[in-house]
Amino acid sequence: MDSPLVFTLMIAIGAVPGALSRYFVTEWTKSAFGTKFPYGTFVINLTGCLLMGFFFTLSKGITGYPKELDLLIRTGFLGSYTTFSTYGYDALSLWRNKNTGATLFYWAGSAVFGVIAVYLGVSIAHVFVR
Amino acid sequence: MLKNSVTRAALAVAIGAIPGALSRYYITEYTKSVFGKDFAYYGTFFINVTGCLIIAYLLTLAAERIRNFSPELRLMLTTGFCGAYTTFSTFGLETRTLLDKGDSTTLIYWLGSIIVGMLGVNLGVMLARLNQKSSLE
Repeated sequence: MDSPLVFTLMIAIGAVPGALSRYFVTEWTKSAFGTKFPYGTFVINLTGCLLMGFFFTLSKGITGYPKELDLLIRTGFLGSYTTFSTYGYDALSLWRNKNTGATLFYWAGSAVFGVIAVYLGVSIAHVFVR
Repeated sequence: MLKNSVTRAALAVAIGAIPGALSRYYITEYTKSVFGKDFAYYGTFFINVTGCLIIAYLLTLAAERIRNFSPELRLMLTTGFCGAYTTFSTFGLETRTLLDKGDSTTLIYWLGSIIVGMLGVNLGVMLARLNQKSSLE
């Protein structure tokens, strides 16, 4: 049943739109709100955390939820949509621009609100599954 | 079609994202097989810290050392590969899972990821700046 080739394909199919959504959301926020604060990555990571909590709960709560779908949505799409490396580099850039308050807010805020967003996603999913 | 810069950028991001996401998956699977499935977050920690180091290394090279680092190559390696390789959503979910279990490593994992991630970024910048003088010739 479990085919490594199918799993690999599912992840790849999810990863492409995930990374592209991140790229285009980031480009759009740069043009709309400027580059002083990494609004794009901030919003992407929080919404990605919310969706991760949501789909994790669905995958556990629905009997027979296909592993292929779980890999496509969570490992492929959401894993690629959110990013830790850009988050780290963004924090360093804010710090370099002597933006101490913004650095602290972005660095700790992403991590605090990220976990809260996961809990929120889990709660929303419980509307649909036990 | 490939003369359009948006298409070229999107293609570069997509080409980098596939091996990025797959490396993350296989490292996580390997971690589970070695440490057990409850310890997948060891893999995520490793992935996120190394990804921070690699992105900072590449972006510093592109900004300060390699004059003809094309935007497409930069997008493929950083936004595509590093972006898809590392993950914030799994980091959040794993923190929540540890927290729900009342696991005492929750704080170490959560705070450790964001602190060591910053060390990774700084190390990446430092490595890219090594021997700077000689290479600018």
